[in-house]
Amino acid sequence: MLIPVIQRTGTKPSIDLSVDLAGIRLANPVMTASGTSGYGPEHGKLMDLSRLGAFVTKAISPEPRKGNPPERVVETAAGMLNAIGLANIGLEQFIQEKAPYLEKLGIPIIVNVVGRDADDFIKVCARLESIECIAAFELNVSCPNVSGGLDFGADPKRLHGLVSAVRKRVQRAKLIVKLSPNVTDIAVTAAAAVEAGADALSVINTLCGMVINVETWKPMLANRTGGVSGPAIRPVALYMVHRVYTKVARDAHVPIIGMGGISNWRDAVEFLLAGATAVAVGTALFVDPRTPIQICEGLTEYLTRRGLSSVRDLIGQLR
Amino acid sequence: MQVTADTCAIFHTATVVANQALCREHYRLTLRVESFAPSLPGQFVHLCPITPPPGAYPSEPVGDGPVGNDRLSNASRPLLRRAFSIAGLRNAPSGVHLDVMYRVVGSATRWMESLAEGDSLSCMGPLGNSFPIQERRPLAWLVAGGVGLPPMLWLADALHRSGKNVVAFCGARSAELLALTLDPNQPPDHSARRATPSALEFARHQVPVVISTDDGSLGFSGHVGLALAAYVEANRTATDDVVLYTCGPERMMDSVAAFCRARKIECHVCMERAMACGTGMCQSCVVPVRDEADSAGWRYRLCCTDGPIFEAQRVIWKPIGAI
Ligand SMILES: Cc1cc2nc3c(=O)[nH]c(=O)nc-3n(C[C@H](O)[C@H](O)[C@H](O)COP(=O)(O)OP(=O)(O)OC[C@H]3O[C@@H](n4cnc5c(N)ncnc54)[C@H](O)[C@@H]3O)c2cc1C
Ligand SMILES: Cc1cc2nc3c(=O)[nH]c(=O)nc-3n(C[C@H](O)[C@H](O)[C@H](O)COP(=O)(O)O)c2cc1C
Ligand code: FES
Repeated sequence: MLIPVIQRTGTKPSIDLSVDLAGIRLANPVMTASGTSGYGPEHGKLMDLSRLGAFVTKAISPEPRKGNPPERVVETAAGMLNAIGLANIGLEQFIQEKAPYLEKLGIPIIVNVVGRDADDFIKVCARLESIECIAAFELNVSCPNVSGGLDFGADPKRLHGLVSAVRKRVQRAKLIVKLSPNVTDIAVTAAAAVEAGADALSVINTLCGMVINVETWKPMLANRTGGVSGPAIRPVALYMVHRVYTKVARDAHVPIIGMGGISNWRDAVEFLLAGATAVAVGTALFVDPRTPIQICEGLTEYLTRRGLSSVRDLIGQLR
Repeated sequence: MQVTADTCAIFHTATVVANQALCREHYRLTLRVESFAPSLPGQFVHLCPITPPPGAYPSEPVGDGPVGNDRLSNASRPLLRRAFSIAGLRNAPSGVHLDVMYRVVGSATRWMESLAEGDSLSCMGPLGNSFPIQERRPLAWLVAGGVGLPPMLWLADALHRSGKNVVAFCGARSAELLALTLDPNQPPDHSARRATPSALEFARHQVPVVISTDDGSLGFSGHVGLALAAYVEANRTATDDVVLYTCGPERMMDSVAAFCRARKIECHVCMERAMACGTGMCQSCVVPVRDEADSAGWRYRLCCTDGPIFEAQRVIWKPIGAI
């Protein structure tokens, strides 16, 4: 397969943006962050999704979920607070209506999975594994907006139990565990996930937060609390990628997908240097849905300027 | 043709043509874009500041600092886009001119207030659905509360062009918060029984207005729903001939919808929700609507792509608990 390269002039050397994510070949290291680009068709109206390294879906649970009442979002300083509540169309409707679209994209698809217990997670993974374009499942054990979700992500024992249970039932597809930042030491939960058989780690989900209206003395979100995302959390996310990489992932040879406030190629370079093999773009898509393409173009220019030929030369190279 | 970043027609760099104060806290921003997809009243644009593109930085590092360190540049600007109803649209020699009207209430509108002629900003649009224009009903009533006015201006234009007989009801908390240019020779009627050509923005489209203020400083004294009721009482119009369109605070639209339900008047509302993406990706902007096909009898629809215009009697106005 040819690697898509943005060639500016004939004289520049070709730059290789491809990476290997636990055996999944990505043409470039930039993917969408779950829940920020729908199931594909919504985002596909705004940019050519085949130019992504991978597409990550909104969370899927066995049954459809209506999610939280509005207001579901509010802007915060350099970020936003959301409590969507994992509103989703459910497994069957996903298979009927969205999977055919995703199959045509020709890029690896990662399905974000959510559930109340291990059986829920297994139900979704087992049913979807036969769809070939689905390269991996990203277990969302860390959504702060539904009770139940966070418990898995914050408790290393329960997390280990969940991941090993799902691991036993998933043969072909890779398992990515999406870690919660709402813990004392993310290296502990990262180690539990890796020991239980995670093929890759997504770092990080949103940070628990809230905003209060001082006139009404009520929270701004109907769900009262939510998850903070966007540039405001980037230094925290970067630190957590660094910590997971140095304490767990590097020695275990488990790749990290870094995310949290990434808005441009410089942010992406920081995450790659800190140890991420790939990066995901979430909140920045709301400002410009074409951000992943711009990041790939920026990475190519950066590597050219630095005299490097592959984006892999950056991964974990923090001095 | 496949939609790519370069061919997708909704991304625009807009130039400020004018940013004019209309009344206390209200402005009209006129933007020029090179081209604009066919669009209809009710649709909106999604605006934000332009972030400097990567190419805008020096290509070599300065000192030890990283190239293009813009970590702090966004601190005082809004991060997410904000939705604004298109208040008017016309072809201009150098592209298309779009009007939006805004009230300064927070971070984005404060940023917009600071824009001057020649400034650039990022504009996505047209987005959302539009007000349906009904062949068989010859009368149209527009009911605007506060900053619900902007979409009604363009709608008045479109309805007038399609030969409808239009009356606009405009309410504000007080006269100084009414973003309309008044004709001193055509004072609004205090009783709200009669619509008058008092507001130039509507009179231009042959649309008379009923004006109300909560504090009685102009026109009818009371909220716009009461003004509508007084007008209907006095005029006894055949309600079967009418379509009512409304935009404003949710409580006001709820009461207008109830008024229409009681009188079997067809009613369409323009909903507002906090939106992150404006394009159907994030699920932040939900409106609960009745849906017989759903086992619970209702479902959430997205304000940004299914709306912002909804049939009033399908909207479930009271808050619903999480499901
Ligand atoms: C389809 C659609 C069309 C729209 N059309 C228009 C239009 O034509 N004109 C227009 O002016 N607006 C319109 N809006 C609203 C607009 O998108 C913005 O939400 C609005 O202008 C406020 O933006 P802001 O950034 O200035 O305020 P923000 O800072 O986003 O604040 C929004 C509101 O929340 C309040 N708020 C925010 N944070 C807090 C807090 N911590 N405590 C208490 N209160 C808080 C603010 O006071 C303000 O009232 C439309 C919205 C939609 C969805
Ligand atoms: C509106 C919204 C919805 C999200 N939905 C999900 C979800 O369904 N599953 C999940 O694992 N993460 C979800 N996330 C978290 C993001 O995938 C990402 O981890 C987080 O937002 C940090 O990245 P960002 O700062 O680039 O947005 C959501 C985030 C946002 C803002
Ligand atoms: S604003 Fe994102 S789905 Fe409507």
